Amino acid sequence: MEDPVLKIPEGWEERAPEGWEWQTLWEAVEEGDATYADERTKQAIDAGIDPRVILDDGLFPGFDLQADRFSASVIFIPEMLITARAMKAGLALIRPLLAANDEKPIGTFVMGTVLGDMHDIGQSIVTIMLENAGFNVINLGTDVHPDKFIETAIEEKADLVGFSALLSTTVYYQKVTIDEFEKAGHRDKVHILIGGAPTSQEWADECGADGWGKDAVEAVRLATKLVGEQRAAWT
Amino acid sequence: MAQTYRVTFKASDQDGMERSASVEIGQTILDAAHVAGVAIEATCGARGRCRSCRVKILSGEVPPATIQDTVQLGHDDVRDNLRLGCQTKLIDDCVVMAAPPKSESGHQILGANLDASEHGFSIASGVEKHLITATAPISEHNQTADWDEIFAVLPDNIEPKLSLDVMRKIPTALREKGGEMTVTIFGDRVIDLEPGNTTEKKYGMAFDIGTTSIVGSLLDLDSGECLVNVGGVNPQAVYGGDLMSRIAYAQFDAKKLATLRVRVINALNDFVKEACSECDVSSDHIYKIMVVGNTCMHHVLLGIDVSYVGLAPYAPTVNDAIVIGASELPLKAASNAQICLLPIVAGFVGADTMACVLATRIYESDELRALVDIGTNGEVIMGKKGRLMACSAPAGPALEGAQIRHGMRGAIGAVEKIQIDDDLACEIIGDTSAIGICGSGLIDACAKLVEVGVMERSGRFRRKNREELSEALQKRFVDTPDGTEYILVHTKDAGKDEPITLTQGDVRQIQLAKSAIFSGIAMLQKVMEISDNQLTELMMCGGFGNYINLASAVKIRLVPNLPIERITYSGNAALMGAQIALLSEEERLKASRLAREIEHVGLATHPDFQDIFVEGMSFLGGQDGPGQAVDGEHRRGRQEKVTVGD
Repeated sequence: MEDPVLKIPEGWEERAPEGWEWQTLWEAVEEGDATYADERTKQAIDAGIDPRVILDDGLFPGFDLQADRFSASVIFIPEMLITARAMKAGLALIRPLLAANDEKPIGTFVMGTVLGDMHDIGQSIVTIMLENAGFNVINLGTDVHPDKFIETAIEEKADLVGFSALLSTTVYYQKVTIDEFEKAGHRDKVHILIGGAPTSQEWADECGADGWGKDAVEAVRLATKLVGEQRAAWT
Repeated sequence: MAQTYRVTFKASDQDGMERSASVEIGQTILDAAHVAGVAIEATCGARGRCRSCRVKILSGEVPPATIQDTVQLGHDDVRDNLRLGCQTKLIDDCVVMAAPPKSESGHQILGANLDASEHGFSIASGVEKHLITATAPISEHNQTADWDEIFAVLPDNIEPKLSLDVMRKIPTALREKGGEMTVTIFGDRVIDLEPGNTTEKKYGMAFDIGTTSIVGSLLDLDSGECLVNVGGVNPQAVYGGDLMSRIAYAQFDAKKLATLRVRVINALNDFVKEACSECDVSSDHIYKIMVVGNTCMHHVLLGIDVSYVGLAPYAPTVNDAIVIGASELPLKAASNAQICLLPIVAGFVGADTMACVLATRIYESDELRALVDIGTNGEVIMGKKGRLMACSAPAGPALEGAQIRHGMRGAIGAVEKIQIDDDLACEIIGDTSAIGICGSGLIDACAKLVEVGVMERSGRFRRKNREELSEALQKRFVDTPDGTEYILVHTKDAGKDEPITLTQGDVRQIQLAKSAIFSGIAMLQKVMEISDNQLTELMMCGGFGNYINLASAVKIRLVPNLPIERITYSGNAALMGAQIALLSEEERLKASRLAREIEHVGLATHPDFQDIFVEGMSFLGGQDGPGQAVDGEHRRGRQEKVTVGD
């Protein structure tokens, strides 16, 4: 198999000051160096580079490379997590600037682990990755009652709701939660995604979810696609 | 009547029997196998996530491949008409063969052989036999009952109430040998009556019912001698390899729970018969059966709904020690026996862990010790006299070879040890050609591959500078469209027509499993504030503990980095603990007190767990891959031309 390679953003030189380099930031995010990611992002901001450009040209290439590798099983949870943390360090500086530029989050995502399940790790990785991708994520934690999901989705005007189940014995509550959304009359107002080790596309179809993420990267791709479609439907 | 299809299962070995079943449209080949009584395992719980149930369709129209078929088996196998039994719905009558041939014969039984004095207890099983002579009633006028006559000559402090089973034995027992009879007492109750003198014949059995396998031993209750060990695969395994898939199968479904229960009871009956016939002992002379097992196995055996054991907060229905008559279970093969179950500490720290506590006597230790029972679920007990804490780590079945491409149990043909010099060499159980790799082999493989640099600390197979490795080691890399694999046994040396490989995905499964156990130990250390240095001993036990290479276990960080001499094997401590409680009522009763005293720590809810778990996934030593460098020093200064604020 060919290893995933770094996709260098086309024409990045034109969007950066003369003599600027992004290579070290790409590497820093790839290698999970949060200290340097923070430093370099600050320098970029100070150099007057547009925050959107810093995000797309500076932070995302290294992150996307690791995400591709994660999808291909080349790297694993620990490496993906530290890359996500380095990304988060840069993003923390960029996000207020984006907001000031009136850039809205690409969508609001309510996330949690279903009732009966105390496992945190899967959904917390997906949360970091979604935030990195520009979502406003409300994380409800673990052992979340269906009513809590519904309540929060309504309050926050969520575009998407995702629930994770990490036990063969709790996937059942993914279906229960979806049924409750139906009963509450809120099912068609949100996209529902499910995930977790014991789940599958078949299960997603069976329990009536709108999508299934094989892993965190897939979940983010799917979420981005669904909000994209939603936007397209509105315009 | 709904339309049905007939599925014939062709035997994979020559003397095996062909079986068949008719099933309705919409059912799978695995369903048909269950109906036909063909043992096909579905270690992932029939979710299409492993390859254990794969079958080859020999004739009949071949159902189209599902996504899972392609993912799990690959395009080549799918073209060869291989399918996952759990995913394939029938579209025609067909003849299939379970593949690979069931060849896990010679499954290693890790028995336990106990020395009472060494373990510091005296034999007093609570079963006593009294030889008495009673007279049958003689006067019609001052009439007495048979039982009055017997009771009159029994020792003091015997409960006069009888079970129906015992009552039925009285008339013959009293009369057949002219009133000479043997009365068997357990505690204060009469559990058996026989004509003549059988006081020498007093036996018991100890069982450890594991998620994956069941082991048992037959003991002489007077001498304490272990006469034979028996064991095999837990026949429930076809309904899910790990604990959670097993619970999920029976969740909210009484019929399925009954299916599991019948399977385990049948297995116990068979093991009782096997042990007795091997030792020429009458199963009527088995009076006490000590059973240990995790909470799920325990509840299923008793027919108690396990639905809620699988849901937070994972509480057991009952946790006290239990004693019931064999007829209540029912265990027909040993109808005179009292069945005793050890108490449960918490949902996932079951009676099997209590048995390990009894066997290792960790509760008497003056120094800090840890006890790790490695299985599908890894339990950890830590502490010393006066304070013990317990937790359970959901390792999953990967370390038992399940959900690993070429994984298998520790049976003949399994790779169990690995050595690497210029090239890699495997030791195979039974010294035959290899057909797969078992848990100890997987641990050894990871440790050694990291050591020589075939794999990075992060678990990733080496991608750069492979030419630094010896040529023989380089040749073992296979880069496929689905990822890198590493050949452990070349096809020419393998017992099947493909090489035995370790895939990148396999390594990831092992990392998750071993980190669960490692984090369980680390969490208790953290909660109890015990450093590695303070741990005097780490005792490993469990089905495969005895075959594991300790240095490799440290290398892959299955256990903390302690000096090897502080890590010990306790063998099959669960079975040994069951034997101890079988031979000594004092020990059995002690377990009830201890179970109440052990403090349980829930891992998933602990805020530090995730960090420890993620950190625990890497291996020790070897080369660092990307992802370990966090110091940006080498990056700084590369940007000098652009001035700030430009």
